[in-house]
Amino acid sequence: MTKRWWALVLAISLVVAACGTDDSADTTEGSTTETTAAATTETTAAPSVETTAGGSEGEVSLVWRTRPDNQEEIDVYSTISTEIDANLENITLDYQPGSNEGAGYQQTLLTELSAGTAPDVFWIPGTDVADFATKGVILDLKQYGDADADFSVDDFYPGPMFHLTYSADTGNAGDALWGLPRDVSTFALYMNVDLIEEAGVTDPRELEAAGEWTWDAFKETVDGIAALGGEIKGYGQSAWWGPYGAWMNAAGGGFFNADRDACALDSDASIAGLQFERDLYSTDAVIPYGEDPEPPFRAGTVGLFQNGRWATPGIRTVDFNWDVVGLPTGPNGPGNWLFWGAYVVNADTANPEAAWELVRALTSADVQAEISALGANIPSRVSDAALDAFSGFTPPANNQAFLNGLAQSPTAEGPLWAGSWPDFVSLMDAEVGAVITGDRDIADFQANICSETADAFSG
Amino acid sequence: MIGRGPLGAPPDSFTMDTITPTRTADPAKTDLPLGLMLAWRVVVAIGLLAAAFGVAFAVGIEVEGTLRWVFTAALGIGGVLAILAIQWTRTMVHRGRATGFFLDYLVAIGAAFAMAQGADLFNGLDTAAARFNDSALFLILIVVGWFVGGFAEKTKRPALVRRIARSTMAAGLAVLLVSMGLLPGLVEFARRLTQADVFIPLAIALVAAYSARLLWSERAASSFGTNQNQAEVMDGFFFVSPNLIGFLVFLAGPLLVSLFISLTDWDGLTQASFVGLENYGRLFSDAAFLKSLRNILVFGLVAVPASVIPGLFLAALLNSKLPGMKVFRAIYFLPSIAGVVGVTLIWKNLLNATVGFVNYGILRATEIVNSLTGAEFEAAQPLWISGSSVALFSVMIVFAWQQLGFNTVLFLAGMQGIDPSLYEAADIDGASAWARFRSITVPLLKPTTVFVVTNATILALQLFNEPFILQAPGPPNGPSNSTLSPVIYLYQNAFQRFRQGYASAVAWALFALIFAITLVYFSRQDEEGVLSA
Repeated sequence: MTKRWWALVLAISLVVAACGTDDSADTTEGSTTETTAAATTETTAAPSVETTAGGSEGEVSLVWRTRPDNQEEIDVYSTISTEIDANLENITLDYQPGSNEGAGYQQTLLTELSAGTAPDVFWIPGTDVADFATKGVILDLKQYGDADADFSVDDFYPGPMFHLTYSADTGNAGDALWGLPRDVSTFALYMNVDLIEEAGVTDPRELEAAGEWTWDAFKETVDGIAALGGEIKGYGQSAWWGPYGAWMNAAGGGFFNADRDACALDSDASIAGLQFERDLYSTDAVIPYGEDPEPPFRAGTVGLFQNGRWATPGIRTVDFNWDVVGLPTGPNGPGNWLFWGAYVVNADTANPEAAWELVRALTSADVQAEISALGANIPSRVSDAALDAFSGFTPPANNQAFLNGLAQSPTAEGPLWAGSWPDFVSLMDAEVGAVITGDRDIADFQANICSETADAFSG
Repeated sequence: MIGRGPLGAPPDSFTMDTITPTRTADPAKTDLPLGLMLAWRVVVAIGLLAAAFGVAFAVGIEVEGTLRWVFTAALGIGGVLAILAIQWTRTMVHRGRATGFFLDYLVAIGAAFAMAQGADLFNGLDTAAARFNDSALFLILIVVGWFVGGFAEKTKRPALVRRIARSTMAAGLAVLLVSMGLLPGLVEFARRLTQADVFIPLAIALVAAYSARLLWSERAASSFGTNQNQAEVMDGFFFVSPNLIGFLVFLAGPLLVSLFISLTDWDGLTQASFVGLENYGRLFSDAAFLKSLRNILVFGLVAVPASVIPGLFLAALLNSKLPGMKVFRAIYFLPSIAGVVGVTLIWKNLLNATVGFVNYGILRATEIVNSLTGAEFEAAQPLWISGSSVALFSVMIVFAWQQLGFNTVLFLAGMQGIDPSLYEAADIDGASAWARFRSITVPLLKPTTVFVVTNATILALQLFNEPFILQAPGPPNGPSNSTLSPVIYLYQNAFQRFRQGYASAVAWALFALIFAITLVYFSRQDEEGVLSA
């Protein structure tokens, strides 16, 4: 019997200990805005939000989340959260990394949104903005942006801001504000400089500087590197829409028409880009389409590896000389993507003004510079100061290659406001992959792909 | 029966006290506080009905979606039962005791959860768990005390040593709790107790628990005329109740909700509309779903035998009494306890077409053969992950390799249950090893084989992790959708295309497939008398 009572006392003690160790106490440790003595009243609108009254009048707690790629990013975002917490008056922050071993970021977020327990501020990929906005789960921040004298949409790249200010009701950009971009990225070619020297081909950086870095020059470089023989390959890209889309963009094509309400994969320009890829993959000079090219690149057997800035932290650990060079110029000039994701505000937040302040703070030049130091992101602000800070974080020595991509009118990734991006991309990925690997005739693809993907535009 | 031991034995103070009377209970003769019990029963009835009304019409209690009606129905049924319990309590029949006890039991649990929610304990427990990790060093004190105490007891050391050991454990526990924040927790908990949304549920939980304890007592059993059978039924339900409640809340409940969702167009974020069987109708014309079904059937046909048959032979090998066999058993079981993500990542690198060890091995092996024979064979370099014709085969390899160890251990357990005298008799008859395996081991392993095959089939049909990781960073569908499985398709619809309704229909279609295949397995084996064996 005594043992049972002890077990009961122990269980109750653990439960009681839980009362004294809430998350907010953790995150505000050492900050000036700690509010443990304050009386707390839970709001019914958003379970994650607490409004406190008493000791610190008007004090609010906000939960925010972004998807980090590794522990280093989690550490940096945690530090940033503490710093912003200290700087924002009457706002206490709780940063959550967002995914765990059991559930991915998107899965967790959607479940919490459905249950009404999602954070006040969270990050979403650019391609998801339309779905979240039209389903009413994120807040239109336009009134807060308009009232903020220090805020201007022009501080950010226009591509993402088109989608972030697009109103499905009016059909116009500029009539809403769904959030602000956390960061941006473009594609570049990661180069194994040692391999290129060994192959004796002209350094692509020199060709780029001379304005001779064209598709033909690219092909020659790839073939030259692959000529080293054995398992050496000239080029590798991952099998998703970004890499092949960049070649279509450079040919003057793209996935959609100008109004983004119909497929343009069958345009001659898009087909020209796809044909170039198919020709490239019809040889043994490249990593087979669908194979992950990063392991062989890291193993030192691939000359050129197309990827975004997010790959930089991983590449920094290789033990050969490497750098980056821009994508080659296509028939229509340079072509690239502008990848982005955004901080948005939960439509159910009880503290929209505080959430707006947090979004502004998270997208400030200082914070973006701090995150850029990790090497994975390019600041989303069109600011010389932010870009100068980014350029200083090496390797790679040629950070300018990413910035050139930004300057060459890249196509901004974005959602389909008149259709379903996930439906479209699922169909497109499978069929484009079949063309590149030779499983589908390119003429058949041109004749039918837009009718095959038509359902994705039916809304 | 758990409640009372043999006649004359003292009852266990923590178990239900029951008697075996068959007499009719007399309300006038009971020593229970009947008036208070009836009053409490009325409070429970009114409370449950009011809560049902509040949930149904969103008066003070806001529950959205399907759960609203589930809660309304549950609370309403509880309220009606509470009214019936009033009458049954007044007439002192056993139904009054049983119904009142289980209502009180459920009310106590529900109120305790409401109290925990009001006091924000669930969020606090997360942090307390993290703090526990930080303070885990103090567990050493407890472990040291436990070892010393055990050692002192075993070696009959002086009582003082045992007392010191116990004190060390208690001190370790106290320091652990204090470092986890027990003292500020006590202060904070006391403050939260002043909140109505904490105090009221706590009071309800305590009163309901007390009432349940009262109804569980021997005098209540006696007063309500509970007989032996009725007591056993109550005992049984009470002792399975934690599992039963967990099953209903975390498995049966979500399953039914999922079935309902499959009849709607719910996107997971906005209000759902009822669409009847439309989602199920769409499945039959959905090329991607049909492709995923085809993939999974082909996958199952190859991957299940590939993981079961070698497991059988391996188990026969490991069942021998050669020295060091236990080490090999452990080695072969290792893949099963390794994380599927880690294992698949290793295979992903092994199967890489350009720098993977598998293709490298093929290359070197071919060179050796060529050099030895003078032939000029060209080494095949399959595109294990990116080739549309072999990508699914790669997934089969990873799956079979991972399942092999588990299946082997199951077969091994089955083999060790076979009577050795059968093998001895066969030996005397001069049977060869193969004949013994074919005529004794395989037939007597049939029940194990049925289980292994069924289990492997279910796991195969639920394929998700292996293609998801093998194909990354590309889409898990693989080249030309060759590795698309129903669960991947379900995941994509639910979490990438915002179609929870359709995803639920996919889930139920897959469930039907798995259920049908399992049923066929079992009915075939039942016909052969394997299961009854």
